Amino acid sequence: MPPLHIGLLGAGGIARAHLPGWLELGARVGVHTQDGSADKLAGEYAELGHDVTAVPDLDELLSRCRAVDICTPTPTHKALALAAVARGRHVVCEKPLALTVPDAEEIATAAAAAGVHLHPAHVVRYFPAYAAMRDAVVRGDLGDLAVLRFTRGGARPQWAPWFGDPDQSGGVIMDLMVHDIDIARWVAGEVVRVHARTRGSERATGAPADVVTATAVLTHASGAVSHVTGLWGLPDQPFRTTFRVAGTDGLLRHDSAAVPGFRITAQGVRAAGEGIPSSPMTESPYLAELREFAASWDDPAVRPRVDAHDGLAAVRIARAAVESSRTGDAVELAPAARPAPQGPGAATTTRPTEPEEPTR
Amino acid sequence: MKVAVLSFAHVHAAAYLGLLRDMPGVEVVGTDPDGVAAALAAPGEIRGRAFADRHGVGYVDTYEEAFAWGPDAVVVCSENARHRPLVERAAAHRVDVLCEKPLATTAADGEAMVAACRAAGVRLAVAFPVRFSPAYAAVKRAVAAGATGCVLTVSGANNGHMPTRARRWFADPALAGGGALMDHTVHIADLLDDLFAARAVRVYAQTNNLLYADEVAAETAGLVTVEYDNGTVATIDCSWSHPRSHPAWGGLEMTLVGEHATLEMDAFDQKVHGHSERHGRPLELSFGVDLDSRMLRAFLFGPGPDGMDLADGEGGLRTLRIVEAGYESARRGTAVAVAGG
Repeated sequence: MPPLHIGLLGAGGIARAHLPGWLELGARVGVHTQDGSADKLAGEYAELGHDVTAVPDLDELLSRCRAVDICTPTPTHKALALAAVARGRHVVCEKPLALTVPDAEEIATAAAAAGVHLHPAHVVRYFPAYAAMRDAVVRGDLGDLAVLRFTRGGARPQWAPWFGDPDQSGGVIMDLMVHDIDIARWVAGEVVRVHARTRGSERATGAPADVVTATAVLTHASGAVSHVTGLWGLPDQPFRTTFRVAGTDGLLRHDSAAVPGFRITAQGVRAAGEGIPSSPMTESPYLAELREFAASWDDPAVRPRVDAHDGLAAVRIARAAVESSRTGDAVELAPAARPAPQGPGAATTTRPTEPEEPTR
Repeated sequence: MKVAVLSFAHVHAAAYLGLLRDMPGVEVVGTDPDGVAAALAAPGEIRGRAFADRHGVGYVDTYEEAFAWGPDAVVVCSENARHRPLVERAAAHRVDVLCEKPLATTAADGEAMVAACRAAGVRLAVAFPVRFSPAYAAVKRAVAAGATGCVLTVSGANNGHMPTRARRWFADPALAGGGALMDHTVHIADLLDDLFAARAVRVYAQTNNLLYADEVAAETAGLVTVEYDNGTVATIDCSWSHPRSHPAWGGLEMTLVGEHATLEMDAFDQKVHGHSERHGRPLELSFGVDLDSRMLRAFLFGPGPDGMDLADGEGGLRTLRIVEAGYESARRGTAVAVAGG
């Protein structure tokens, strides 16, 4: 079999998290960027003997890669994804799939029409604590879920200014909270109502105290409720995620800060705020997700745990949260029909839930 | 000082009786005239004279006798919907009163209680012991000193086990006014009432009764988002989602995100954790201060060195209005304005 040839689009933080995963899978990687940063990233890896090259011409890269991995700022996702789909390439796309529901739909529809796989990279589904919790829920260990809480926060991302511009990143809800929106839906089922509020400086000012945080309540079709918070905090805010999931037969909770497995407790200088989270005691969740995606291209029996519909649903719920945050009132979500399973990613669904009025 | 505990309906009555019994300079009697009927309705619950005996305090048979005894203060531990007549009685006898939370089950009852006590010139205090937590005091100091700057959001969780094994009425809307939303929203709402010179203006709540659906009709889980006129948004998890087989009853946690600092508090995690091989379950040894004791002392003898005082009737009424708005919001599925907010 020819080597797996991946077109890595972007060379920022998340591209650097994905690239070692692709190399672990034996891929040849061409890196394409608009700003020349591909040279630096490719050079670093080529120096270590890896098959990584910078490819300045996108068409050239698309002509020879099997799939693209879109790790660029969110507003560029659609054009890049559509270009790859037009060339019949599979698409791995960072979350959120797009900034708007129509854009996300357009990408998903184009991929389905072209018969290529579209993998929204909701990597938290591959973080082992979250996967273990969800497995327990699917097994029925917790009974029927009633109330869930998810938190995710860290220092405001400073490594790329576009995060601080809500027109580009979608803000803290679209870019950060979307992770737990996806997890809440994965674990507790479809979301029918959203209420959210955002506080602080959504648009980064560059001032030292430049905090933005959002809080949302999701009502699931089952009647279960989820509280989700996202925080882009102060420069010394440690990256931390937590969940607490309660059902009729039990409770599971997790605090990423409580179980690091390994930590440096002093090093003579104060550490800079972390960037891209990892799970150092287990295989990289980025590798796990990329392996699952790539395996599905050759084996139709492999159905990645996240598919295009999930990515679209996460955008739809996050947009509803943004809208609620703007108006201050709850937003009702019409149940989105899952498209008929077609080749790629016929989904692993969550436990079946019957839509019903949330009860008091 | 003479203190009468009126009714043993509330689960806190046991703690109050024991603390008052052991408090130097305090004489205590209890009365629980509705306890006999209540115990018949809920077999297994110990009420009335047997309950007083178990806690080693004197007992009288009727509220009339309790007031005739000449108490300096009374503690009202009846079911939520039965607070009003006892508070009004205390006002009529011109006796200061500490009323269990929530103040009442309707704002109309709460307003009448506040008015009766004001007219009689007696003190009406509401039992929110978490105000007396050193963890909360640290939060309050930090916010008051400006360390947080403007508080943007609060995430609070007051989860407990469903209290119906101790007292069944907690899940009977006719007596409790509701379920978990009525029982557990008010503690954190009271902390924020104390913390901010701000009023709640809007509430969004979603509830369900998926937990214990086969046992009770009341809501057993809820998330309540409260917006204050200082811009703070607080979301409170009021659910009875703490497993009943867990060694602890539950807890109360809050995270405050401010412009200049992020704070976390846990009012009840001052514990040594372990595991009991003998009992085959986790072991928890609480070493935190007794919040009920600090609250009772402040009520009877005035605030301690940190100056923390009890919530008054108006404060209890404000938190009750948040809960009322929460029920309306949960019914309608939309955010609603808080009456008088």
